[in-house]
Amino acid sequence: MNVLIIPCYIKTDWDKNCLNRLLNSIQNQTKKFDRVYVVDDLSPLSYELPFDFVEHIKLKENGGPAKARNVAIEKALELNAKHLFFTDHDVVLDKNWLYEMSTFLERINFEAVGGMTYAYGKTLLDYYHDINGTLNGKWLLPDKKELWYMPSLNFGMKSEIAREFVFDERFPTAAGEDVDLCLRLRSKYKIGFCPTAKVWHDFGYKNFFSGFKHFVNLFKKYKSSSATVYEGHTVLLWDSSEAIYKGNMYESNL
Amino acid sequence: MSLIYRRKANQSKIMDTVYDYFGEMRPFVKRIDKKWLIPLMVFLKTIEWSIYRWYKTPVRRFYGIKGNELIYMITSRCNERCAKCGIWKNPESDTEHLQIAAFIDCLKTLHHNLYQVTLTGGEPLLFMKDVLLIAEEAAVHKVPMIIVTNGVLVTEDFLKRYAELGHILVFSIDTLEKEKWGNFRGKDTYDKVMSNLQLAHKFLGGKLRIQSVYAEETKNDIPKIKELCKQMNIQHVSQPYMDFGGVWHGVKQIYENKNDNIICAARKNICIYPNGDVVKCFDHYRIPLAKESLGNIEKENIIEILCRKRSTEISKIMKTCNFPCKYLSCNVPEIVYE
Repeated sequence: MNVLIIPCYIKTDWDKNCLNRLLNSIQNQTKKFDRVYVVDDLSPLSYELPFDFVEHIKLKENGGPAKARNVAIEKALELNAKHLFFTDHDVVLDKNWLYEMSTFLERINFEAVGGMTYAYGKTLLDYYHDINGTLNGKWLLPDKKELWYMPSLNFGMKSEIAREFVFDERFPTAAGEDVDLCLRLRSKYKIGFCPTAKVWHDFGYKNFFSGFKHFVNLFKKYKSSSATVYEGHTVLLWDSSEAIYKGNMYESNL
Repeated sequence: MSLIYRRKANQSKIMDTVYDYFGEMRPFVKRIDKKWLIPLMVFLKTIEWSIYRWYKTPVRRFYGIKGNELIYMITSRCNERCAKCGIWKNPESDTEHLQIAAFIDCLKTLHHNLYQVTLTGGEPLLFMKDVLLIAEEAAVHKVPMIIVTNGVLVTEDFLKRYAELGHILVFSIDTLEKEKWGNFRGKDTYDKVMSNLQLAHKFLGGKLRIQSVYAEETKNDIPKIKELCKQMNIQHVSQPYMDFGGVWHGVKQIYENKNDNIICAARKNICIYPNGDVVKCFDHYRIPLAKESLGNIEKENIIEILCRKRSTEISKIMKTCNFPCKYLSCNVPEIVYE
């Protein structure tokens, strides 16, 4: 049983359109999900989902994406799900995403997997994210045989792992909670990389100039969580890593 | 666990920063297939690198985002004479009392690191105007605040404003028996406090709490206080008795049944005395290295104080110290909050 978990905090019509776009891409998967949970984290904008394959969980309190994911993880484990997959509302999945991710988990000896993330937009800022690998995983150096971490927008794991490791709800925003989970998970298991499991992330830039402030704020948000991550994982953070981009995505040769 | 060392001693040299910068840029530039974009992409990477450096400084690493409690003993003066506490026996003089602006500066500097500001005493509401200034500043920075009061000086105007700011008020009540009250408090303020409690409940609702000290003297009173809290639908907190100069007696069993492996969270607390002296814990006298304060916020910047090597060393010691104060709510709230 393959379960997809999407935490949502819908503030604007843009977010709403993103979510609908994501759900369309889920509907068009060549291999279907057995269950899709959209967990609404007390969004300020009300919305309905015109898709009958989605189970819409509405939280009564805003608790951040980590809490939203954990609520759905618990439900999925009750249903004895085999694989849990995670993405975000501003992502578009390739039509073979589930097939590639689930095949990887079944075929190769990894307990968790991350895929390849591209920028959805075409601005210079999107180009930067593509070559920088901002929302891609990082190779663990020097071997590049496993991932140092993988962002939760393109991530999957076996359900046994989810019984041991859940997201830390003390992370209040979508920043750092996935790094924290991966670093804890890596104390026992390995995270693999599946370059053929593609998603596109919409950063929401209209053009370089209007998107610049958003670009700076994005990194401020991501980097601000590093204090909390450092606090818990100082030793693990000494490991060397390299962000994945299209130029090094096949270097693992798994 | 990373620890803070004196910033100057631990500060990287300029060349380290240069190597770090070029170490990031060199492999990044190789990724740019459109060569005419190199200057622009390097500019963007420099912004990312600068943000990363900013958040990577040791003080941010150790204290973390929303990872600390700032506890301000705003005064040691008190209008009551409680037997459980001896703080009121040594009131600070007017010249010793910290200027409120110094504490506000400290709060502004640290607010990213704080999950809570707690005001204690003495009786904090002896300085009601200052308390409201702090409450307003905390609200601006979205830092929740808690005041622990004996409840005597609470007024309607204060409660109205405090409720608007959305903070929590804790009444310290150890008995509901009027006869015992005088012995516990040293003053006959039972009727006043009970009437203020109802008033506070009216304005604050669930933001009102009652805190009791769990001691030999109060162990039969606490169930009745809990029952009152249940009726009022407010939270009750029990704190084990600690020797802060009082004459009560701790209940031995509560320490015997507890988990001794608790790591002392108080090492990440930042405590400030009425004169502005900074310590890691108000029970710091138990640790020889911590007897002297780390510095004074009226004279120095709080970040400088927290980055001292002695501050680090004390944090290290507190990580494994096994004193009874580790059961206080500032250390392990989940144990005493019921």
